[in-house]
Amino acid sequence: MWRITIKGLMAHKLRMLLTALAIVLGVTFVSGTLVLTDTLHNTFTGLFDKVYQHVDFEVRGTAAFSGEAGGNAVRKPIDESLLPQVRAVPGVAVADGSVGGYAQYVAKNGKAITTGGAPTIGTTFGTDRQLSSLRLVEGTGPKSSTQVVMDEGTAKKYHFAVGDRVEILLPGPTQTFTISGIVRFGSADNLAGATIAAFDLATAQRLFDEVGRLDTIEVLTTPGADKAAVQRSIAATLPSGVEVVTGQTVANEASGAINQALGFFSTALLVFAFISLFVGGFTILNTFSITVGQRTRELALLRIVGASRRQVFRSVMLEALLVGLAASLVGLGLGVLTAMGLEALLKAFGITLPQGSLVFAPRTVVACLAVGVGVTVVSAISPARRAVRIPPIAALASYRGGTGESSRRRFAIGMIVGVLGMLSLGIGLSQPAIQLVGLGAVAIFVGVAMLAPLVARPLSSILGRPLAAAFGISGKLGRENSMRSPRRTAQTASALMVGLALVSTISVFGASLSRSATTSITDAVSADYLITGSAAGGPAAGFSNAATTSASQIPAVTAVSSVYSGRFEFQRSISSLTAIAPSALSSTVRLRVDSGTGLPALSSGQLLVDTTTARNDHLRVGSRVKVTFAETGPTTVTIGGIFTPNSLLGSYVVSEEYFHAHFAANTLPIAILLRTAGGASPATTAAIERGLTDFPNLKVQTRAEFEKAQQAQVNQLLGLVYALLGLAIVIALIGIVNTLMLSVFERTHEIGLLRAVGMRRRQVRAMIRSEALILAVFGAMIGIIVGTGLGIALSDSLKDQGITDVVVPFSSLVVFLVVAALLGLAAASWPARRAAKLNVLSAIATE
Amino acid sequence: MPVTQQPGTELGASPSTPAARAIALVKSYGTGDAEFRALNGIDVEFAQGQFTAVMGPSGSGKSTLMHCMAGLDVPTSGRAFVGELEIGTLDDAGLTQLRRDRIGFIFQSYNLVPTLTARENITLPIDLAGATVDEEWFDFLIGQLGIADRLTHRPSELSGGQQQRTACARALIRRPELIFADEPTGNLDSNASTEMLGFLRRSVTEFGQSIVMVTHDAHGASFADRVVFLADGQLVDEIIAPTVDTVLEQMKQLGR
Repeated sequence: MWRITIKGLMAHKLRMLLTALAIVLGVTFVSGTLVLTDTLHNTFTGLFDKVYQHVDFEVRGTAAFSGEAGGNAVRKPIDESLLPQVRAVPGVAVADGSVGGYAQYVAKNGKAITTGGAPTIGTTFGTDRQLSSLRLVEGTGPKSSTQVVMDEGTAKKYHFAVGDRVEILLPGPTQTFTISGIVRFGSADNLAGATIAAFDLATAQRLFDEVGRLDTIEVLTTPGADKAAVQRSIAATLPSGVEVVTGQTVANEASGAINQALGFFSTALLVFAFISLFVGGFTILNTFSITVGQRTRELALLRIVGASRRQVFRSVMLEALLVGLAASLVGLGLGVLTAMGLEALLKAFGITLPQGSLVFAPRTVVACLAVGVGVTVVSAISPARRAVRIPPIAALASYRGGTGESSRRRFAIGMIVGVLGMLSLGIGLSQPAIQLVGLGAVAIFVGVAMLAPLVARPLSSILGRPLAAAFGISGKLGRENSMRSPRRTAQTASALMVGLALVSTISVFGASLSRSATTSITDAVSADYLITGSAAGGPAAGFSNAATTSASQIPAVTAVSSVYSGRFEFQRSISSLTAIAPSALSSTVRLRVDSGTGLPALSSGQLLVDTTTARNDHLRVGSRVKVTFAETGPTTVTIGGIFTPNSLLGSYVVSEEYFHAHFAANTLPIAILLRTAGGASPATTAAIERGLTDFPNLKVQTRAEFEKAQQAQVNQLLGLVYALLGLAIVIALIGIVNTLMLSVFERTHEIGLLRAVGMRRRQVRAMIRSEALILAVFGAMIGIIVGTGLGIALSDSLKDQGITDVVVPFSSLVVFLVVAALLGLAAASWPARRAAKLNVLSAIATE
Repeated sequence: MPVTQQPGTELGASPSTPAARAIALVKSYGTGDAEFRALNGIDVEFAQGQFTAVMGPSGSGKSTLMHCMAGLDVPTSGRAFVGELEIGTLDDAGLTQLRRDRIGFIFQSYNLVPTLTARENITLPIDLAGATVDEEWFDFLIGQLGIADRLTHRPSELSGGQQQRTACARALIRRPELIFADEPTGNLDSNASTEMLGFLRRSVTEFGQSIVMVTHDAHGASFADRVVFLADGQLVDEIIAPTVDTVLEQMKQLGR
């Protein structure tokens, strides 16, 4: 049997190549993701290890919130007086203090330098070379309060050199500095795209409003000192709320934080890889089904000459195993190339990565082979079982076999699987439990695919009617061919169905998200203008406090509200607290109070929570709750009011005054809301921009523009998701090519006959294309219907999370249908050409 | 009336032109020592309005001759004509048109399109050409062939005889100059065979159809006006107005 399997494989190279391609692409995705993320993981871990290799200890504030630890934890600064104290501990050779904060460069053209998500870091340039994570490559360190050192990445990209003057945006007023030196972060030009501005300690303290305080103290021990003993002695001198940890701990925390983000990235990519493989599974199932059907006589002959059922089953499974193995190996290799390509791409986008070689972990090999071979073999089980049921008599010419498995049973199973899927999805969405959602979606797809043959005939008939009218006999034959084997039509279309279903789901979800974002902004904000910073993310996000003052001096402006945001611990979980001045609240924010009061409660230092939080935490007006702030520690606060969810304010709101009392003075505003006389107009916009020329990092947007920007953000994300789903669609199209190809081979005789009685090549092509068109539109229609349902369910379940409107974007869905149809036509081009080229005589001769 | 029309004449061929002819036709497979000549320089003419049977032992080249003369296969050398038209000069589009408009085929294995009904199979060449069906002629044919009540059935719902009669109607629907029939009765029982041969005979006698039929059955050949015998790719003999006995006698001589 082994030899027969191999010979069979060799005899149908093309068929196997197309089948394998579906798996190759999926495995490439898996392998590429794993290699890329492993490499990045390794690179960052290596970078931080190197940066902190000389730091023996770090002294810092303990994590402010009990539930939080590691690199991103909120820590209270420590007193400067600890520095001489640590230096005095026996065994300490050098100790350096540092502070950090928001510092954003202004480029030579007057525009603020943005990083596309990476932090804009302001820090201290340590006097000790070994302790500093910054390595001078040119010039000297900052020697005075007017000097700064710049990271090499920024210097290269924006053409700054030692001696140049550069403007820097800071928590306070903007200042101009002279570049005294260029540095690298460890071995990298900069830290994955972040900009670095390093000042001498005293300057940094002044600029970041931390005079007399330090964020951390880095410690180097004397050679030969007992490090554990030194750590104990340092710890003994420290007050409570301050800790001493090893440099390795800090390195691990720093890389841990980045690796956490990488882990999310990797999981997201793997989800799409598995979607591709799932779609690939349909393609394989379909190919094996067709080939088993075509080999009925051959397999029956094997049975006649004495092959057992088990041998036939093994023969088919062995074929699947070999195809899966070969495809997985190719995919594995291509994945490595892809990872290299992606790394280069990231670099091309200006995300400078530290040096590091490609990491090819054994786990990658195991995962890729397991997944690739697994999907192929599992997909081949059902066709193999059908092969087993072929009776030996089928080898005789007169035999006309049934299709095997009773269709009624299959539909019953499909129904059950589908219903279970919906149940699982429903529970998963309400929990929410993402695994149940995924499982439910998979079950729904499988169920729908099993039920699809039921509608394949009537639907193909309806879809084919206009084709028959438009292309005459060719269209009619295409229609008849797609109706001939409802099961094959349904299976082929199923792969596309899954792809289109996911695209439609995302489309519905995205449209709802986009609409909700706009409605929620209109519902949340009454201000005419929203001013936000261009520096994205990081603990140093925000912009100078001075901007608020400048804004209030603009003549047309009638009301100004600064919005602040900070992390605090509420009922033992870390949440985000929003603060706004009560004075201008009513003219800039639409606060709808459900119970209690709004302004009075805020003014008297009480907390407002939204209805969702109140319901979940069983809170009422007047409840007293425990909260913890990093700066001031635990306290209790009274709930003064409960408001309807507001997208600007979030779940927890206090007054600006209360906020400043409990947060560090250098906490920066994240937005400014303006109300103007006469509302938004180009003239007013210009006036505001003029008034804020000192702050090139600020983005002035009217409410409408802000809404549009939010929508654009959603659409950008959607675009990315569509692109990732694109691979699944490509695999589905390969499935269509494959099925059509197999159909053409199968119908060689028939096509030859049509040619013999006078069918033109063009007509042959039209016939195959008609069939493809029906297949594609059939799959797309079912997919869009299923996907719309899923999208509505998904959006609806996120009502509490701010998806207030469920929108079905009909025009997008129609576009998807049209695109699917065009892709179907494209998929048909090769099989159609092949069919048209068939030699008439040999086609008739094959009997 | 369609019955009185002479197929072919409307296409401008003069009565003296044969329906088809081959001049020094050679078809060889392989090269050098392995070369095998299925047709070895054969010259043959098939007259208009005549029913010609082509006979010969297996491998004598009778099917190859038919394929080459019908434009299904390309001869190695020599020339083949349908009417005045030399088919060697045609490209694929020309050949397709030739097959669709001027030649009809009847195969041993019926060769109907399984997804189409009997009616749709019959009108297939017309639909492919985008022409309209001559309903009178259509009705006449199905009446003659006795398949009027089977028109909405698919091939799988028809008996072998009915399928072959459907194929026969398809071959005649365009009123081709010439019909090539390749063992048309090979899969039929004797009753159905006789019916089919009788119809072919009548179509020649009554409306002047030209037919070339490849067969190895003496009974079938006896319906023809003329039998040509092939051996080793060459024309070796012929009988005019054959009977079963004369054909059998000739076959014996050829050492079948």
